[in-house]
Amino acid sequence: MGNELSRRHFLGAAAAIAGTAAATPLLSACGDGAQQTTGANSEAGLKAALPAYVPNTPVKPDIPSVAGGPDVLTDPGFLSYPANPVATVSGKPGKGGSYTAVTPLWGTVPTADNSFYQAMNAALGVTLAMKPADGNNYATIIPTMTAARKLPDWIQLPSWWNPNFNVGELAGTQLADLTPYLAGDKVKKYPNLAAIPSGAWRAGAWGDKLYGIPSFSSGFAVAGVVFHRRDVLEAKGITADQVRSAADLMNLGKELTNAKAGVWAFDDVWTYMFPSWNLPLKWAVDGGKLVHKYEMPAFLDAMEWHYTLATSGYLHPDAIAGDNANAVTRFYAGKTLIGGGGAGAWNLADHQSGVAANPNYRRGAFNALAADGKSAPRIFLGASTSEISYLNANLKPAQIEELLAVANYLAAPYGTAEYTMVNFGVEGQHYTRQNGVPTATDEGKKDVQAQTFPFLASPSAVVSNPGGDVVTKDYTSWQIANVKALTKPVFWNMNITMPQWASTADAAQAVEDTVKDCYHGKKKVSDVQAAISTWKSSGGDRLKQWMTDNVLNKYGTGQ
Amino acid sequence: MSSGPMSTGRPRLSRLTRLRRDRSLLLMTVPAVVLLLVFNYAPLFGLVTAFQEYDPLIGVWHSGWVGLEQFGQLLGDPLFWESTVNTLYLSFVQLVLFFPIPIALALLLNSVLSERLRNFVQSVVYLPHFFSWVLAITIFQQMLGGAGVLNQFLRGHDIGTWDVMTNPHTFALLVTSQAIWKEAGWSIIVFLAALAAINTDLYEAAAADGAGRWRRMWHITLPGLRGVVVLMLVLRLGNALSVGFEQFLVQRDAVGHDAADVLDTFSFYYGIATGNYSYGAAAGLFKSIISLLLIWGANKLAHAFGEDGLYRK
Repeated sequence: MGNELSRRHFLGAAAAIAGTAAATPLLSACGDGAQQTTGANSEAGLKAALPAYVPNTPVKPDIPSVAGGPDVLTDPGFLSYPANPVATVSGKPGKGGSYTAVTPLWGTVPTADNSFYQAMNAALGVTLAMKPADGNNYATIIPTMTAARKLPDWIQLPSWWNPNFNVGELAGTQLADLTPYLAGDKVKKYPNLAAIPSGAWRAGAWGDKLYGIPSFSSGFAVAGVVFHRRDVLEAKGITADQVRSAADLMNLGKELTNAKAGVWAFDDVWTYMFPSWNLPLKWAVDGGKLVHKYEMPAFLDAMEWHYTLATSGYLHPDAIAGDNANAVTRFYAGKTLIGGGGAGAWNLADHQSGVAANPNYRRGAFNALAADGKSAPRIFLGASTSEISYLNANLKPAQIEELLAVANYLAAPYGTAEYTMVNFGVEGQHYTRQNGVPTATDEGKKDVQAQTFPFLASPSAVVSNPGGDVVTKDYTSWQIANVKALTKPVFWNMNITMPQWASTADAAQAVEDTVKDCYHGKKKVSDVQAAISTWKSSGGDRLKQWMTDNVLNKYGTGQ
Repeated sequence: MSSGPMSTGRPRLSRLTRLRRDRSLLLMTVPAVVLLLVFNYAPLFGLVTAFQEYDPLIGVWHSGWVGLEQFGQLLGDPLFWESTVNTLYLSFVQLVLFFPIPIALALLLNSVLSERLRNFVQSVVYLPHFFSWVLAITIFQQMLGGAGVLNQFLRGHDIGTWDVMTNPHTFALLVTSQAIWKEAGWSIIVFLAALAAINTDLYEAAAADGAGRWRRMWHITLPGLRGVVVLMLVLRLGNALSVGFEQFLVQRDAVGHDAADVLDTFSFYYGIATGNYSYGAAAGLFKSIISLLLIWGANKLAHAFGEDGLYRK
């Protein structure tokens, strides 16, 4: 439910990051050779388009949010569900219009016109025909609609696509401009949408205009975390705060590895560890000049550490063989004790699976660390959301207002009457209260838990794991402990549309392949160096110039 | 028109007559032809993207035309040539080590007299064909991998470990043994069928004339198999650039991209995976053209040696 949904969100984000090694800048491939606009937003222009942020917490969290800086906020934690959810929307938001909506769904598609859809339509005052499409094939389903210019009225276009699909090109032609309805104080007409932090709205902005409505946004979006088996480490007298440098971690590798017993300290950590060497996810600005992480000497230091980790025998052989699919099984079984992953892995389902494998199971995470143990540790802030819905450009203004009112209903905060309706359905029919926790009935599991509406709009993320309070407490306290380390990377939340050659250079597949071979101990650091110099001459340098001219000099760093 | 059996000496029949004569045969080929048209010929239209900067969101009709630019870039890409060399090398290794095995297996099976035993052995060697590559490789990894049964045993007895699953230098041998384990049993079917087609009278007559086992194999069995062997060889050569996809995709991280990248995985990683669809399409098209030339050449060669090849000349 709530956890399920945020897990998916983070997994989505993590997948995109793992695939492209890009986190926040939503780099978009431009397929049209003729078009050379970047689609990026300028700071001043965007400010005028962004909706005002008016926090709204009708249900007080047990573990309140902690702010770390501008746009940085931990997710609030809830240990119980309100017995009498309050309503935030009076009356029905809709005026009887009929619309279709397409959202991705990872699971079994509910039957059309089921009792939950009917109840939702009655509550919303519109006829919203939900057409969920298979999430795994979503990227191949949508292009047929856009190429034929036959988008539904309301559609989810995940931003983790942006490297492959040019969503910016659809903005204005096929997707409606929402700036006139939501910019600045206008959003206050929709208080639940106004409670979504501005960072998330940036992810749906193109060319200084607002197009997207964010779902599952968070002020604490991170690429991932270095997890450990807290139960095992604590039994050996090791606590996470004793680990303060890369050298400490390497020592831990030696101490924890017992190959004869089939236990290796580490699974893959590169993707989540390398920023500890004071490296950006991609770009940094040094003395007003753009620098790519590949050009930094620290990159090779980070590479060296990971190469040593693998060749010293502290990395599980199956991880070296590239078997990521079973990483979580190895972790549950205690065959690996430290491994990287999306923060969304910290959820109730994980806790239940882990405890099933070992009753003492407890997931923990290391705090952000600086490799040298001296510098200030940093974690880069990821895009505030990776799920964004858009309205069709052909809708009339009155229709857009009607759907925005519906979105306001869907975005009602955790624990409200509307949130209960959207996430659990009708009491008695779709869920019952067990120990105060809304628990899905069979009908609810089929029709409500296969989430559709939250992909159109939803409130910002909360941490809630009914029945697994230890998870909520551990995760929120880790967030609070690390909120100060959260740093905005260069080009944060900026939507950049690139020509194809640049997006190929940006993906740097040949370098990333060699990097992977190196942290698996199969290639030397000098091989990575060679791959980097090939990359520079075959597009990398040209990319840097392009980014400098078209993004940095025009729109700034986005920080 | 006479109603007697048609003699070959007659002038060619009119098209309509032949159509009428073969109508039931033609009707039977319709499903296969439709299948080919829908799944093999219609998608050929997509090749147009190799000459474009294709953007899936705006579709084929609106994507920009770049002519041969993708091909120019491809031919200048060292990674593309590395993949080509890998493909040819793996193909050669498989030709030498894999190709003879199903033939030998078929001959061995054919000489087993007990039908029960033969069926049992045949089922056992068929079975792995139905496993997916992911499963097959997982089994190899569980047995021979760094944390697998073998190495944990060696480790437990303080004998050095044996790294075979992640060694790029022996990768060609690894994938060939995997291919043999998985596919050799399946490949014997066609040879068994050819063996079954040999007239048993020949064996009896030869035996009556005093020919031993080896002479019978040399003078009857092998010549009987020759046509099929040549046909399979022609097909194999034509497919020299397709050594498989999933097998390499799954093990690419294990041995590194420069040992595992073949042309198909190249198209995937440097085309589709980075959103550079046109580049992937160009690599695919290039591969298809070379394959077409190879199969044409191999077929010519077969005809030159007086064999049927893909079709009778």
